[in-house]
Amino acid sequence: MTEIAFETRSVSKFFPGVKALQNVSIQMRSGSIHALLGENGAGKSTLIKLITGVYRPDEGQLFAGAQEVHFNRPHDAIAAGVGVVHQERNLIPRFSVAENMAMGQTTIDPLKPIDFRRLNELAEPWLDMLGLSIDPAIQVSRLSVAQMQMVEIAKALSQRTRVLLLDEPTASLTPTESQALFDVLHRLRADGVSMMFVSHKLEEVQEICDTVSVLRDGVNAGENIPMRDLQRKDLIRLMIGRDETIPEARRRQASAQSVALELRDLSTSFGHRNVSLDVRRGEIVGLYGLIGAGRTELAKTIMGLGALTGGEILRDGAPVTITSPTDALHRHRIGYVSENRKDEGLILDHSVLENAGITIWRRSANRLGWLSRSGVRMRTVPFLDRLAVKTPSLHQKVGNLSGGNQQKIAMAKWLAAGVDVLIVDEPTVGIDVKSKAYLHQLLRELADDGTAVLLITSDLPEMISLADRILVMDEFILKGAVANTRDYKAMSQSVMEHIHHSTDELRQAQAASA
Amino acid sequence: MSLVTTQPDRSVRMPDLKGVLLSSEFGLFLLIVLFGGLFYSVSSGFLSSFNIAAMSRAAAINIMIGFSMMAVIATGGLSLAVGAIGACAAMTCGWLLQEIGLPWPLALLLAIAVGAALGAINGVIEVKTGLHSFIVTLATMSLFFGIMIFLTQAQTYRGIPADFVSFGRMKVMGISAAMGPTLIVTAALIVLYGNTRIGKEMLAAGARPEAARLSGVRVGRMIVLAHAISGGLAAIAALLLVARNGAAIPSMAGNLGQDWLLIAFLGPVLGGAVLTGGKISVIGAFLGAVLVTVLSNGLLLMQIGEFWLQACLGAVLLLAVLLDLARRNYLERRAKQ
Ligand SMILES: Nc1ncnc2c1ncn2[C@@H]1O[C@H](COP(=O)(O)OP(=O)(O)OP(=O)(O)O)[C@@H](O)[C@H]1O
Ligand SMILES: [Mg+2]
Repeated sequence: MTEIAFETRSVSKFFPGVKALQNVSIQMRSGSIHALLGENGAGKSTLIKLITGVYRPDEGQLFAGAQEVHFNRPHDAIAAGVGVVHQERNLIPRFSVAENMAMGQTTIDPLKPIDFRRLNELAEPWLDMLGLSIDPAIQVSRLSVAQMQMVEIAKALSQRTRVLLLDEPTASLTPTESQALFDVLHRLRADGVSMMFVSHKLEEVQEICDTVSVLRDGVNAGENIPMRDLQRKDLIRLMIGRDETIPEARRRQASAQSVALELRDLSTSFGHRNVSLDVRRGEIVGLYGLIGAGRTELAKTIMGLGALTGGEILRDGAPVTITSPTDALHRHRIGYVSENRKDEGLILDHSVLENAGITIWRRSANRLGWLSRSGVRMRTVPFLDRLAVKTPSLHQKVGNLSGGNQQKIAMAKWLAAGVDVLIVDEPTVGIDVKSKAYLHQLLRELADDGTAVLLITSDLPEMISLADRILVMDEFILKGAVANTRDYKAMSQSVMEHIHHSTDELRQAQAASA
Repeated sequence: MSLVTTQPDRSVRMPDLKGVLLSSEFGLFLLIVLFGGLFYSVSSGFLSSFNIAAMSRAAAINIMIGFSMMAVIATGGLSLAVGAIGACAAMTCGWLLQEIGLPWPLALLLAIAVGAALGAINGVIEVKTGLHSFIVTLATMSLFFGIMIFLTQAQTYRGIPADFVSFGRMKVMGISAAMGPTLIVTAALIVLYGNTRIGKEMLAAGARPEAARLSGVRVGRMIVLAHAISGGLAAIAALLLVARNGAAIPSMAGNLGQDWLLIAFLGPVLGGAVLTGGKISVIGAFLGAVLVTVLSNGLLLMQIGEFWLQACLGAVLLLAVLLDLARRNYLERRAKQ
């Protein structure tokens, strides 16, 4: 066995009303990727924040190698060679990609004027390494959530630390982009870097990790177990603590119903050209594509957040002009679950109940505007229950919940909203295996009740298990439809063919015009 | 730590003791008692019936001024024009009474409507131009005040009906009757922010406009509404002042209405409002204004010169905030063990 690069010994961390971690010990070895697994709210992110100086442990010790360390602030951890990609994005939106990557870099002389050209040059190779083709001088606010995630990863890599902690780095990436990351991680492993990897995508964990530790309700439920001894079902058992059969995906028969939402030859100021699609009542239509394919932008256009430059939107067969999200919601009964829960999905400073209820306040208020609390509860709590939201009370600030639990609330409020057309953008980012299955069931039930669902997800298995048909988008153009055969291998191949076919075409076109 | 359950959550109806002790409302209450005791021990005149009536009357007005700022803070804005709007509303009322001869209840209602309308103008400008409310209200403060001075020729209206003035000087159980309207407004605001869709939507719009918008909240409309409420509340505060003075005086809130600003911010902020929006406490703002009233009254009673009063007030307030912070830190640390 190689040497220990970082170690926690019996660390504990308490929040008011919550024992987030109790006597947790883990060891990270050089040249190895260590998986940290657990259900939503098990304490994974808290442990990572302890190791990287965001929090200080209430009990227990941290060791870097054989040396005990005390991190009082994140800077101390970076200085000790511990790098991290946090679960939540921490980039400064108005700064450029390169500026963000240079932030907190210890090697930059604080007194010299910044050489921006050099910053961009320094950033470039790390972005390339991850296959991310963006200009380092571009403002972060213009990137998609997945691109921001890639930038955070590039930033952490560029610090060249010997210990690297990755908290759900692949949550909003497609398999293609994740693969680029894994290639880099493999190289780092060969160089002797010690890594910790958190993910709810168990296939990835099995593919790239050497050892596993599992947290359950803040305590160790498995320490440093070699991955080769474990099957997927073993991982699940370790996480939830019992053999539980996760509900099987049920095949739905989408009967031919009327078209609820139709786009006809839509062109937009974002750059979409001639997009035509329809979603029928009771149908789940998937929209698949790589990062930057223009799926979120299409959703935003439907919600009235982008300008049409051509074509039309039809709702129940009638052309409509949608001017704003409120217009979309109240006049046309179209809801949108944003992929960006931190900025657009939730009000982190407000309580669980207030977040979950916001979409139904209007319906729950009587003529005088009086809101019955029990009415709001009655309509939201069943969804929170079925998604097993873990919170000390309904009055807890949503910002204090774990990432996965926040996502459940962002979804629950739309499941409760009762819209006719629901656009869901990355609905299960950060949600654990079990809750994900329940969420899928809820989405299917929603469709069975006649809601038209447009599903945008980078999670191909999710797409395959939910969607009735799958449309592939690339470079702001619809590349065609794929019938869902529910066979992962075949589907993944035909989807990629659509995308690659189009890029080949593009290259040929470019070559021809050159 | 538990899963959410459908069982009725007891903490709604009966907040647990720890929560109450940790709240900033309780902290303010402690400070009011503390300073009250201190002033009483220095000068027994502090709790004389005369002083209690005077303090409660001042408090009634200060609370309303604080509320009028709180209404915009809820949506993440602020209003420098509260004093100017108050003065405009008071002068409208004086004019309607003296020159037009309207019955006073009608004049009051119209004056409040004028206040709300001026507030709404602020809101509309803010929403339409996308400028920060600081800039918008900085401009309208001078604008409203200037127009008012031009129209009234800066004269004082003294033709206030005796009924109205005697209400301002009436006492109920030793407390100024001016507290009556203030208590009614307090109750109304508690209901507004706690139990109505509009109130909650205003808070949501203030906390995170993007998220609120995508959840179907009409953010622009909520901002206009918040400013209108603020204007209406500023008008009520000014009318209480008119009743106290027996006249509508253009300079009742200082030049451009600026004399109101300190108290307007102190009430809600001491009460735990977050200046970036989305979080306010009606009871906190109430107690915050009471604390400020107690402090200024007590310091005046101790015959500290007007000049020193401001400085002392500032220092004591800083101290109050620090004490409150220390208390909460201490309790939170204890709670963990
Ligand atoms: N700042 C905080 N204040 C209060 N409670 C907190 C805070 N941060 C985390 N918690 C609680 O600690 C527990 C562990 O949270 P943590 O974020 O570590 O979970 P996690 O394992 O990362 O979950 P996920 O898979 O959803 O990301 C949760 O119950 C959460 O509600
Ligand atoms: Mg987490």
